[in-house]
Amino acid sequence: MSRNPRGFLCISLFIIAVGCGEPKKPGQAIVSGGTAVVQGQPVVKYAHGFRIDHRAGYREVSILNRAAGRSDTLRYLLVDPGQTPPTDRPGIPVIHTPVKTMVVLASSHIGLAEFAGAADRITGLGNFQYVSSPVVREGIRSGKVKQVGIDGSTNNELVIAMHPGVMITSTNPDAAFGQYKTISDAGIPVVPDAEWLETTPLGRAEWVKVIGALIDREDVVGKKFDSVERAYQALAAIGSSAKTKPSVIIAMPWKGTWYTPAGESYMARMLRDAGASYSWSDTKGIGSLALNVEAVIPVALKADYWLNVGYVDSRKDIQAKDPRFAAFRAFRTDSIYNFNKRVNELGSNDYWESGLVNPHLILADLIRILHPGVLPADTLYYYKQLK
Amino acid sequence: MDRTLSGLGRWTGLFLLLIGALLLDLSAGAVRIPLREVLHILFTSSAGDETWLFIVEKIRIPKACTAVLAGCGLSIGGLQMQTLFRNPLAEPGVLGITAGASLGVAAVMLAGGSMATLYAIKELGGGGSWLVTGAACLGAAGVMLFVLMLSRRVRDNVTMLIIGLMISSITIAVTSIWQYFSNPEEVKEYLLWTFGSLGGVSGGQLLILAVTIVAGLVVAFLSSKMLDALLLGENYARSMGLTVERARLIIICSTSLLVGSITAFCGPIGFLGIAVPHLARGAFNTANHRILIPACCVIGSILLLLCDSIAQWPGSQTVLPINIVTSLVGAPMVIFLLLRTRKLKPF
Repeated sequence: MSRNPRGFLCISLFIIAVGCGEPKKPGQAIVSGGTAVVQGQPVVKYAHGFRIDHRAGYREVSILNRAAGRSDTLRYLLVDPGQTPPTDRPGIPVIHTPVKTMVVLASSHIGLAEFAGAADRITGLGNFQYVSSPVVREGIRSGKVKQVGIDGSTNNELVIAMHPGVMITSTNPDAAFGQYKTISDAGIPVVPDAEWLETTPLGRAEWVKVIGALIDREDVVGKKFDSVERAYQALAAIGSSAKTKPSVIIAMPWKGTWYTPAGESYMARMLRDAGASYSWSDTKGIGSLALNVEAVIPVALKADYWLNVGYVDSRKDIQAKDPRFAAFRAFRTDSIYNFNKRVNELGSNDYWESGLVNPHLILADLIRILHPGVLPADTLYYYKQLK
Repeated sequence: MDRTLSGLGRWTGLFLLLIGALLLDLSAGAVRIPLREVLHILFTSSAGDETWLFIVEKIRIPKACTAVLAGCGLSIGGLQMQTLFRNPLAEPGVLGITAGASLGVAAVMLAGGSMATLYAIKELGGGGSWLVTGAACLGAAGVMLFVLMLSRRVRDNVTMLIIGLMISSITIAVTSIWQYFSNPEEVKEYLLWTFGSLGGVSGGQLLILAVTIVAGLVVAFLSSKMLDALLLGENYARSMGLTVERARLIIICSTSLLVGSITAFCGPIGFLGIAVPHLARGAFNTANHRILIPACCVIGSILLLLCDSIAQWPGSQTVLPINIVTSLVGAPMVIFLLLRTRKLKPF
């Protein structure tokens, strides 16, 4: 096989073009370091969890799971109107695009759909409580959007009766898809959104391309993502080259355990890009570390900033949680920030919804907090200082 | 346990063990602090390193105090229930008090999702840990009042035991419904609470916990004569002039106070309540509650301090939930001791 990816690519495309593609091949796109490079297709640059391959007459979306050295793949064939599903790929669910209606289960899915301009196609939601998007709120008000129950306890009969074009869940692709078997057996494609397993903020945001593919707006969504990417990279260059690296602590301990982002998580990456010094940036894992509160205290007592403190709204709230927190330097110097500026009157936090697709806005907030004066003065978007 | 030891010898041994366990707990943790520094901080309240001072004074000492209080309270609660029901398997949660506290916590953490509740909570200004604690107390008290109401109508203790188990069952079912309909994040927070923790109690909370436990212990001490009489059977106790219903009321009150407050502050901590009374009986070879009650206090404290030290997992950055350690470490220990003493009949 050719060592030159471009060469191989051209040959592959040629083979497809003349209709002699090898169906058994896992994919014609060349994968190098998680980057699928295919000409004329949306280039997946940052996300590791999915791939979109253009094939003769259809597109193939593969949701990958590379956790723990495994490589399970869930595949979906996206077929446009006028095209017929390939006959040589039995057993793979076919999604007829553009998807007109979708059921989504988590706030982040609303963010993805809104970004792709498809919020009006949402007809089912996991939970009505957590919605910021005005489009979806209006849909709820008018009765167009139904509540189908959260991940793990969805109302199967309701979903099947609605028969959406696709249902998007947050379930780890690692977990057996058994709980959605009834729904997928009824002919409704169930697509997991594993954006939260990504290790970079841009990788998470890039999942909008999956929605873009589902609604046949790959180009528009791709361009929109590119501008987010450019903004983020420009900010990251500013943040990571900042002269000072203020130390930060994240979240709040609970009952003796302090859950803090692990070194390979997107949050740790965001902190690095914002020019923060984060004590656990070298640890393994993409989730959170469950640390003994004692192990964090030496850092917490001296940290310059305390971010993402959770469900508190004032310094008084923090002291009510535990009076010992008042000894932290960030508490004494009034340097506590939380991402709850955009909480609406229903208690829904837009950070969890649009924050996913606006990593550049979050990064800008962090840089404004950690390095005052580096960026042009502006108000914070998601964050606010605790008073 | 050396059978030739006199009572005084055993007490001395236990107290030395208690001090040892206390020092071990104070020096165990993710941050290595030499024992000499710990003692220095303990006696002079000053240290060369500000961080060490904070860790020992604000984290380890409150945690050790909580361990002692919870160790005493849960063991006495277990002893009282075992004696009241004359059942070696009875434990403090047998009347549904622990389940009641869990229901209260679930109501806050899981139903907190409903916005009306959240707003009510915010209006009350109770954020944070007080809220969970208050809810747990209310839950425990609610179940306790219900049990007390029923106990006035029930004459024998076995019926009472079965009713207690049923109430427990109902309460757990209600909590499960809540869990089933809650968000995974909320369920996770609730599950973390059920793992138990000694580290979340400090300052004013510790004071309240201490006052409640001491009150419960005083009632327990005062009722030791009743407990002795009950051990001989209800009819015998009646013939000795004991009003069984009133004794039951007092004992249930005392247990509820102890277990309700501990569960509220620390979460449901299992195992100690059932095991420590057996260890105390084995160590002192007696059924006299005036000896068993202090013995349970000391042994319970030692065990919980040891479990907490193990939970700190020396050299590790993480901490194991206390509830896991009490069962994982404690249960084999009890089996071993019971086999060694060759006295499997606990009564």
